[in-house]
Amino acid sequence: MTDTGDTARLSGPDARAWFLAFADRISRGADDLTDLDRRAGDGDFGWNIDTSLGRARSALQDIDAVHPAEVFGTVSDTFLASGGTSGPLFGLWFGRVAHGPEEPWTVADLAMAFDTATAAVQRLGGAQVGQKTMVDAMAPAVQALAGTARPGWREALGEAAEAASAGADSTGGMVARKGRASYLGERAADVVDPGALSIAWFFASAADV
Amino acid sequence: MGRFVMNARENLVQQALEGLEVSDGDLVRLNRDPDFVTRAEPARDEVAVVSGGGSGHEPLHTGFVGRGMLHAAVPGDVFASPTALQVRAAIEATDTGRGTVLIIKNYTGDVLNFSIAADLLSNTHTVETVLVDDDLATSSEEEGGPGRRGTAAVVVTEKVCGAAAAEAGASVDRVRDLGRKVVSRSATLGMSFRAPTNPLTGLRSFELEEGEVEFGVGIHGERGIETRRPSGEAADLVESLASPLVEALGLDRGAPVLAVVNGLGATHGLELSVAAFELRRFLEGKGLSLERTLVGPYVTSLDMKGFSITLTALDDELTELWDAPVHTPALR
Repeated sequence: MTDTGDTARLSGPDARAWFLAFADRISRGADDLTDLDRRAGDGDFGWNIDTSLGRARSALQDIDAVHPAEVFGTVSDTFLASGGTSGPLFGLWFGRVAHGPEEPWTVADLAMAFDTATAAVQRLGGAQVGQKTMVDAMAPAVQALAGTARPGWREALGEAAEAASAGADSTGGMVARKGRASYLGERAADVVDPGALSIAWFFASAADV
Repeated sequence: MGRFVMNARENLVQQALEGLEVSDGDLVRLNRDPDFVTRAEPARDEVAVVSGGGSGHEPLHTGFVGRGMLHAAVPGDVFASPTALQVRAAIEATDTGRGTVLIIKNYTGDVLNFSIAADLLSNTHTVETVLVDDDLATSSEEEGGPGRRGTAAVVVTEKVCGAAAAEAGASVDRVRDLGRKVVSRSATLGMSFRAPTNPLTGLRSFELEEGEVEFGVGIHGERGIETRRPSGEAADLVESLASPLVEALGLDRGAPVLAVVNGLGATHGLELSVAAFELRRFLEGKGLSLERTLVGPYVTSLDMKGFSITLTALDDELTELWDAPVHTPALR
């Protein structure tokens, strides 16, 4: 429950509750993510993201969470400490979101933060929409946040979640051009990208705050 | 037991880092969690030069931390990139307010993690990058491909950037530009008589028959571009490496050259000196002037038997920076 009494702005405790819900969702779905990754990549995705979020869960207990920037920065660090490609890119994404204002966030703040963060992932990860990566869920969520007419963060993130979910589903029909799945090409075309699915779960988890 | 001096796998790199403090604690300090190595006496007011990469290439990079060269080195696990968290912490620890130049060998993981660290600090720190991609064996016309690997030219880049940073008032742009200048004027080729051994499995990463050498190898135990059966004469081996370098760099008669004759891990100093002797003879035959040399195991690939040659086209500016004082565990 938000303790600011302000339904328009996302508070630090809201953001922490969002991540704890996300960590729960990943824990429940880690085997499914790993299975998707086994069919399209090297099979360690679910375990890696679950491990990073497990570290985030304890790190989040140790901070005051006075604003969302602090929460996103804390989670970012746990991903930046991981190897591979997806973990560091999640760390970049959350870390760029953490550059948002050091106070509760409006929907406009959220839209701006996720826009610059997704641009950074596209720039450094080298992936565009349609290449079967996490970007396929990030980009539609950014568009939804930029275009929403909803003034409250719950409703706005609900729209972002729908867009991200549709984006993740769309990767089920794509041939990978980037990342590990690109080595399998057509053979993995029907598999949903686990990175995109995780992003969809991330936005959907805001509804559990 | 295995044939490596090591304890548990997960302690290998950390214990080696602590050992560096034992041997060179007057020059370097180890920062733990996240792990990186800095100078024992930090610079006060100069551009920070930071590099790093997988372990297994010692003395690269940790052995080059010290006055006149690196301000920090960030080691990853064996043949694996350090994390973005380590790199970010090293930048934050060494930036004096004058900015940072990151020297990155061109490998996907290194580029990703160093770039992420730089990006996340972009609102508070000035961070410029120099990408080292000197390995001629990996030249390719492929559009959007990974590009050439970074190998022993990284030592020259670190030396020149470190010397430039030590000059009074040098800007981050100048240090970066000099690093890029070194890269644009350098090329490397390596060959192997015997692949490196994986410390965990005791297995070599590839096998060669008697009389075969692997030409165009990198520094991670990957096969080269061709398996050859050379005559066995040192002159032939040296020419097979140096000749394509001279051509690729477009060196004209009289051009001043710096050469790194680099042992890849298990090649004896006696052999490297023979290679240096033959290299001078070869370059003189081409009318080139071998002005400066660095001969020894500086960028290794665990216990690979083999060597690489790096040529850098010098000019007065680079020669002066190469000659500037340096005091690090591996180069002084």
